[in-house]
Amino acid sequence: MSITILKSGLQTTIQGGSRSGMRHLGVPASGAADPLSLALANRLVANPSFTAALELTLSRVALRFDTDSWFAITGAKTKAKLNGERIKLHRTVAAKAGGELEVGAARAGARNYLAIAGGFVVTETLGSVSTYLPAGLGGHHGRALEADDVLETGAVSAAPPMIKTPKAFRPRAPESLALRACDGPDVDLLDKESRFDLFDTNFTVGARSDRMGIQLEGVRLRVRSDGRMASAPVFPGTIQCPEDGLPFLLSVDAQTTGGYPRVAQIARADRHLLGQLRPGMHLRLLWRDVDAAIEELSAKHDYWQPWLPDVTAVI
Amino acid sequence: MKKPDTDAIRFAGDDLLSISIDDSDACQQLAAHLRVNGEWIEAVAGISSCVVQFDNTRLDAAGARRRLEQAIESVPETAAGDPGEIEIPVFYGGEFGPDLEAVCATLGVDPERFVALHTGGEHRVELIGFTPGFAYVGGFDTAAEVSRLVEPRLRVEAGSIGIAGGRSGVYALAGPGGWPLVGRTPVKLFDPQAEDPFRLRHGLRIRFRAIERQEYDQISNA
Repeated sequence: MSITILKSGLQTTIQGGSRSGMRHLGVPASGAADPLSLALANRLVANPSFTAALELTLSRVALRFDTDSWFAITGAKTKAKLNGERIKLHRTVAAKAGGELEVGAARAGARNYLAIAGGFVVTETLGSVSTYLPAGLGGHHGRALEADDVLETGAVSAAPPMIKTPKAFRPRAPESLALRACDGPDVDLLDKESRFDLFDTNFTVGARSDRMGIQLEGVRLRVRSDGRMASAPVFPGTIQCPEDGLPFLLSVDAQTTGGYPRVAQIARADRHLLGQLRPGMHLRLLWRDVDAAIEELSAKHDYWQPWLPDVTAVI
Repeated sequence: MKKPDTDAIRFAGDDLLSISIDDSDACQQLAAHLRVNGEWIEAVAGISSCVVQFDNTRLDAAGARRRLEQAIESVPETAAGDPGEIEIPVFYGGEFGPDLEAVCATLGVDPERFVALHTGGEHRVELIGFTPGFAYVGGFDTAAEVSRLVEPRLRVEAGSIGIAGGRSGVYALAGPGGWPLVGRTPVKLFDPQAEDPFRLRHGLRIRFRAIERQEYDQISNA
């Protein structure tokens, strides 16, 4: 039971759940950059939501199924072909042994998730199977996949039902995004105009964007910061503002402490969208107070619950 | 420890609460206390603040704040117990310490003298963080003038020892790094199978001991 990578693309890694409760040891969250798309892919092949799957980034990837398999693809807008025939995203697909799958470059959004029935066989490191590239933890030898890598897949006791995600639960791969955000603990270090600009700028996602963080361009904020601030805890979704005034949005692999003012924090309800931000994309921040953000999270959970019963663990 | 004022609490997001405390050791002590009191997902200390993450599907904003205030009330007055001392054998210079000569030049000492100074002093882990298991180790004021590399290395091997700003930086795992490297320890500081995967912890006192290549290889292969 295995698949073989034929073309690895820009950055293809094994990702599942995040690492939790170890930020005080410097261990970042890691895990799928878009956990909702991961859960949706696993749902289609009857796997638990955080089963190890492939996370594909922006570019074309090709692989071969070495044994009969069932798989599903979710996430970014792209074209996929099995043995040269177009297949659709968001449905269970059966592949015969020797079948070759090609997933094209992302045309909107940034990441695709490929889940396989039975999952990939990966040892947990620090509580998760997910690949954390900077320290070489988890996944396939702690690294991004390369051509000729053979990945062992788990045993499947019965064929999963051939289903598709109902339309209402297929997130549209975004051309632009608005993310809800709350004030960060250091927001007072921005001058009045900059605090307004933060929530009134059509940002462009910069070229410096990866699983660690995302550069936002469009306005230079004025931040009162005399050199380096005392190192303070940061989280996925924290927006830091260095002295150059260009906000930097931290993502799932971000370090655990940072020395720049934390001016905003993406609300929990929208953090799963960090994984779909791609260079050149437009982004706006929508201010919410803490109570409103929590109420809206609850509404989002209610919406998704009928299709993903464990959605509160996913979003 | 001195209890923080409840005015020092503020939200850092819709599931994050920050407490300001102007003492680095008190931050560490509070975070350690919160990790076992109050059911927080994360409790992380910075230099002058501590941030907890809570499950905002179970607790609303007011409830989380109340729970934090209660948890702070139960912080013990006495300091935490002594976390102990560890000896770290280090091979200084050569391929493991490519920046040793540059560091010596900055300090105006020869490598022998540098090693004597570094192994002669008592060091203490001030903070674990940034990347997995990376230890900021205080107690080398002699090297206060040494600054970080202008261009960080993309890869620093596990066990590497760097020097900057009066501190030693110990890399438990391989990864990118910007500290000038003076040596490397063959001791495994990270064991993913252990209950405590990282051997270095806050407050631990460290003595560095210079070793020859033969001993380095012996420990490495053990």
